[in-house]
Amino acid sequence: MPVAETGAAVVEIRISARPALIPTVRAVASDLAGRADFDLDAISDLRMAVDEACTTLVALAVPDGMLSCKFVLIQDQIEVTVSTSTPAPGAEVRTDSFGWRVLQTLADEVTAAPVDGVPEALAIRLTKRAGATQ
Amino acid sequence: MTSAAAGPGPADEPEDAEESRDAEYAHLVPVLAEHAKLDPSDPRREILRDQLVTGYLPVAQHIARRFAHRGEPLDDLIQVATVGLINAVDRFEPERGSDFFSFAVPTISGEVRRHFRDQGWSMRVPRRLKDLHVSINAAIADLSQSLGRAPRPSELAEQLGLPANEVLEGLAAGQAYRGSSLDEILSGDQSGTTLGDLLGEADAELERVDYQQSLQPLLAELPDRERTIVMLRFFGNLTQTQIADRVGVSQMHVSRLLAQTLTRLRERLESGGE
Repeated sequence: MPVAETGAAVVEIRISARPALIPTVRAVASDLAGRADFDLDAISDLRMAVDEACTTLVALAVPDGMLSCKFVLIQDQIEVTVSTSTPAPGAEVRTDSFGWRVLQTLADEVTAAPVDGVPEALAIRLTKRAGATQ
Repeated sequence: MTSAAAGPGPADEPEDAEESRDAEYAHLVPVLAEHAKLDPSDPRREILRDQLVTGYLPVAQHIARRFAHRGEPLDDLIQVATVGLINAVDRFEPERGSDFFSFAVPTISGEVRRHFRDQGWSMRVPRRLKDLHVSINAAIADLSQSLGRAPRPSELAEQLGLPANEVLEGLAAGQAYRGSSLDEILSGDQSGTTLGDLLGEADAELERVDYQQSLQPLLAELPDRERTIVMLRFFGNLTQTQIADRVGVSQMHVSRLLAQTLTRLRERLESGGE
């Protein structure tokens, strides 16, 4: 049975902002994409993109902070929002880095943005579509 | 290369097959002799080497096939056997009196055995899943070819006549598969020409991003194969399936290599940068 039958399906996980927990999030990402019948390139791309986004934000997170990863499945795409709290307002995700280049290549769309109403929070939002040809 | 006690052994070959084999490859014997005499820097040596590797390729493929169905994808085995063949061509000394086959066959089988020994699963995976992994890999190759893109799990399930859940399970098991050792073996033997062209194409892309100083030395540290794959994916914008086709390994293998290489680059960027 397809995961996203009608409307959006949501999976959200919260982890301690630690590198050791990122593989868990990555596994959730590829499992969701596989069950949503993404093609294998798209599954692998999403997996790596989630890994990259989480790693980027874990590095910027408050010590002992939490990282939230929200997956929204809508039809043939998955939107991922990874967010965390940073120690001070104004922290930024560098978009001139190799990591950002990787995210741009792997995801169909990616943005880094502050979280509405929470000046210390940072989020990376990315969208991955199921595959090239439907 | 030792004779691996743990590795699987190929089936024995009938003795009388040897004579027809010698006749089939007789035209390559003078090429072997000429190749061995040339100085390594002589450009002609490269031409002869290619000719020899191409000529003896059926031998490597034959040996690889004898190790098939033991849990490793055949295309990977053929690659490893080909590396063994290249080593055999490079190291063969005809003046020592032995014929090429008695030197090459153990060299090639040794390389394949070493692959079995080095190539392992990073966690315990039931036999059933390993077999599934092999059939899925084969189905991926077939379908990528016919569809011209990466297949979806549903398409794999249909091709294999398996429930989708089982395919997903097999794909997940593939993540536990450790593929790096093969690439360490292979990395030294890739021809540099495609990479050169490739780096040329990618240069303009590279300049746009402000990490040239930090990233380029790290890319240079990577084995050729990993660098090629990273460049093709992130600067050439090829999909993993296209890269697999171009580099000659499976899509799953490209996927693993990319993930490993990204982690490695990230660690090196973190330790070296800022």
